[in-house]
Amino acid sequence: MIPGRRAAVLAAALASTLVLAACGSTADQQPAGEAGAGGVKTDKGVTDTTITLGVMGDNTGPFKNLGAGLNAGNQLWADDVNAAGGICGRQIQLEVVDHGYKADTAKTLYPQLEPKVLGMVQLLGSPVLAALKQNLIDDNLLAAPASWSSEVLNNPSIMMIGTTYDLEIVNGLAYLQQQGLLADGDKIGHIYIDGEYGGNGLKGSQYYAEQHGLTITEAKITSTDNDLTGIVTGMRGEGIKVLVLTTTPSQSASALAANQALGLNVPVLGNNPTFDPALLDSPAAGALGALYVAASSPPFSSETPKAVEVANEYKQKYPSAPVNAGVHTGYVEGMVWQAVLEKACEAGDLSRAGVATALTTLTSVKTDDLVTELDYSSPGAPPTRGVYIAKVDPAAEGGLTEVAPLFTASEAEGYKAPYQQ
Amino acid sequence: MSDTLVKPSSAQPAPAAPKRRRNWLAIAATAVGLVLLVLLPVIIGTEVAYLKVAQYILIGAVGGIGLTLLVGQAGQLSLAHPFFLLVGAVSYAVLSGEAEADLVGLGLPPVIGLIGAVAVSGLLGLAFAPVAGRLRGIYLGVASLSLVFLGLWLGQSLESLTGGTSSGRTPPTFELFGFAFANSEPAPTILGVAIQKQQRLWFLFLALAVIAYLLARGAVRSRIGRAWRAVRDNEAAAAAMGVNVTRVKAGAFVVSSAYAGLAGVMTALWLDLVKPDENEFTGNYSLTVAIAFLAIVIIGGLGSVPGAVFGAVVVYGLQQFFLLGANEFGWFADAEFGGLTAVVLSAFVYGTAVVLVVLFEPGGAAAIGRRLVGRRAPAPVPAAPGGRDTPERNDDDPRA
Amino acid sequence: MTTFVQLLVNGLGKGAVYALLALGFVVIFKATEVVNFAHGSLVLVGGYLVYELKDALGWPTAAVVGVLAAALAGLLIERALLANATSADHNGLALLTIGIDVIITEEIVRRVGADIPFIGDPYDAQPIQLGAVTVFRTQAIALVVGAVLIAAFLLAFRYSSWGVAMRAQAENREAAALMGIRSSRVTATAWLVAGALAGVAVLFIATQDFSGAGLGRGTHAIALVAFPAAILGGLDSTAGAVVGGIVVGLTEALSAQYISFEFSKSAVFLVMLVVLVVRPSGLFGTKELSRV
Repeated sequence: MIPGRRAAVLAAALASTLVLAACGSTADQQPAGEAGAGGVKTDKGVTDTTITLGVMGDNTGPFKNLGAGLNAGNQLWADDVNAAGGICGRQIQLEVVDHGYKADTAKTLYPQLEPKVLGMVQLLGSPVLAALKQNLIDDNLLAAPASWSSEVLNNPSIMMIGTTYDLEIVNGLAYLQQQGLLADGDKIGHIYIDGEYGGNGLKGSQYYAEQHGLTITEAKITSTDNDLTGIVTGMRGEGIKVLVLTTTPSQSASALAANQALGLNVPVLGNNPTFDPALLDSPAAGALGALYVAASSPPFSSETPKAVEVANEYKQKYPSAPVNAGVHTGYVEGMVWQAVLEKACEAGDLSRAGVATALTTLTSVKTDDLVTELDYSSPGAPPTRGVYIAKVDPAAEGGLTEVAPLFTASEAEGYKAPYQQ
Repeated sequence: MSDTLVKPSSAQPAPAAPKRRRNWLAIAATAVGLVLLVLLPVIIGTEVAYLKVAQYILIGAVGGIGLTLLVGQAGQLSLAHPFFLLVGAVSYAVLSGEAEADLVGLGLPPVIGLIGAVAVSGLLGLAFAPVAGRLRGIYLGVASLSLVFLGLWLGQSLESLTGGTSSGRTPPTFELFGFAFANSEPAPTILGVAIQKQQRLWFLFLALAVIAYLLARGAVRSRIGRAWRAVRDNEAAAAAMGVNVTRVKAGAFVVSSAYAGLAGVMTALWLDLVKPDENEFTGNYSLTVAIAFLAIVIIGGLGSVPGAVFGAVVVYGLQQFFLLGANEFGWFADAEFGGLTAVVLSAFVYGTAVVLVVLFEPGGAAAIGRRLVGRRAPAPVPAAPGGRDTPERNDDDPRA
Repeated sequence: MTTFVQLLVNGLGKGAVYALLALGFVVIFKATEVVNFAHGSLVLVGGYLVYELKDALGWPTAAVVGVLAAALAGLLIERALLANATSADHNGLALLTIGIDVIITEEIVRRVGADIPFIGDPYDAQPIQLGAVTVFRTQAIALVVGAVLIAAFLLAFRYSSWGVAMRAQAENREAAALMGIRSSRVTATAWLVAGALAGVAVLFIATQDFSGAGLGRGTHAIALVAFPAAILGGLDSTAGAVVGGIVVGLTEALSAQYISFEFSKSAVFLVMLVVLVVRPSGLFGTKELSRV
């Protein structure tokens, strides 16, 4: 390169640095704690006309179908609220991102989302939640997790909606025993994804096993191990009477297929994330009948009046979308947020701190039985302990039929969650 | 193998290295470049996401430099880089993290943690060296893959160290002489831009990358580099010239692993998370990363230190840039249902770049760069990590 | 005991598929000394076409098309790219296949998208009970198909003119060329055969029985497990590929039960590593000599 040209390039580069530096130096300062419309104090994510809430969901990962249902549920709630005039004179807006159930992706997306939102109406995935734990605390950002591990209840930024995995399993095992499918002293198997989703479910099994003298054969897997035939083969050798799953839907399919193929044929217990109606079209379809789902929110086909209402609204707005339990869960997340926002509005403080304070004053949030009554006054304890039990039924919408309405087993009442005071 | 002989390398005398002329323009360009890099947080301002992209590129650069030394200079094909990244990341968290309920943490000062992590990675590289010493070319490449699988297993089973595959553990905040690389109130400002966590991390990464770069250039130009190349080109001949082949090969592996370990610590700080992978094909320490690093090295030109930096811009930079664009500007809006995603698009770009490099310019970007600056480039350099059957290479050329 | 027998059956069935894949690596390596990192993407090409076409054409026709497509994809990669990379040696070509693999894999994984389709319709999830032992139909058919194909291949390799040419080229490329063997034809055929084997293998991999998951990135990863199979046996040994495949299948099944599930994936690679350290050219591979 000739010297003259190089000098020109250099000069240009230098000049652009200065220009850019000048631009950079006019960084905007965000006003904090300003009083907005109606004399309500606000900081991030709230304007005079809108309240923006974040959704960090899964549209591409192992829980993509559930995730789509959840997102739709959130949106239905927002639409309903907005149609009724909004909250605190403001319309609800959702800012949706997809992390594909990957903690590292979420970690990258979070800083982009955080400044735009007041809180999160949905934060899907235990791994994601664990990875973002400190961020939520640092930013004082309240999030409703679409993951129900009681291990996260030591985080004041978490607003658990419904009961936790450990309690779902405790209730589920109690139900199976009531039905005579399980007896004191039996052997059970539990296949779980490592980390808080699976591990928390396992805590439930362990607690119930202690109460009833059960022995557990445990098998730990990661969220992408899909062939569980070998594990079920080993469990068959152990003579298990019930198989508990805290796994992804495709893993459940593999375990259920093996349960049938290997002639084991024991009842299988899982919770919401273990089942996806899409499995009914998979080669494992014929083996799904053994699955019982214990979940804090009702199955899509539930006859609980509010559930019917939401389901109808969903079918009307998203006629071709898949139906699953995520819709109701997503809706109820919104309902609890609504309770919090209204409380914060009453107190005249829609800032993040105001919202966090409002949450702790809620002692009995009612959701028309979408979940049992919620009490947020004792941090560390699950806000509620009841579940619905459903069974796989290809004829039912969403693939699940309710076999037991909302109930709380006595074992669940006595269970002490990890961070319960 | 069917050809049971190693062909003697068609030795042609290396062109005498021209006298190094200290061109003031070159110095000025480097200086301006550095100033630009140092001022990057100011240039970027509040768009911190772009700073994250830039940080990520430096991770790729540090790891890539380490790999190009091993593959290009010392002729040992390795796909084990992600394993050493994992070792570095976990070691840092263990050495400097606080002990928690289920987690081991020694609570050492983060600087010690960083240095320790690099040392542990290097030592593990040394442990693998006897295996590496026995195998050549593609056999070594595939054998080194087993380390990635070993890392997968250890990451899953040693939960008290790694935090487990689901959520991992939070690495300790980096601190230097009491200065924390975290947000603070009030934060110092440069030209009106607050120097918070991400800005501070950028300076840290930049410093680490510059040190890594200079050390690598130094090694390449010194006796160490000459020994690496001698072994790469012909082990027997190198031995005859008095090079301790075993030691030199092991040394290259140690150095490369240490670089990967550093990149691992940087990954942990960048993500603010140490999390072993759930499977072998996706994640921060997976086969995908092994391939990505190899791509960095091939695109940059095997053995070229600046080339590795360029490769990192292509491979690591594009992916993050696309990812950013996807969220910021709604590119790939149809991605959800099988459209183009940031990851796919960047894979296309670097996959194609690898193919094109091997087909048309085995010297990679380094060779193109040499040509662009108008200096007479040496004869085309074949891409051959095995180092056998190849004519003389000049990637040791200090001008590279 | 039943558990053990069951695991043997599972392992053997998988081993047969790994053997098919490993044979693909070996054929190409023998002909050209190139390690084909794009093998996994050939697997995906075949599987993808079956998925796309099976509703329209019916499964059997779609399966045939898939196998042919994988074979042609192999041929195309060799003719269009590798044959033109004149300045690269076999290691450079291996790197080239990595680039190809990245592109094809990403494209197909993207196309399959969220579906992750299962493609073993006629036999998937239809186990056969033999006393206390369950034989997964997919694995059983894989074993039979694998045995037939491998036998046919070994016979062809031994007796057909292609086999002779191939072995001659593997023995000594220059001498074979001097004897009038057209190197390019031998090489192209090798890629064709390897592609076809990959196309057959995928019919068994993307099933509930085999992987518990449909066609996707995981399928590609399974193809990679055939790497240790090929290396274990020795990259230039066809018999070694078969032995390697079965060793890998059994190692995986047994270590999952008797050591730990997490360990099973690594176990395969660690076995390979041990073999390589003891015998750097694999169990049946030709020793490499070094002379100055």
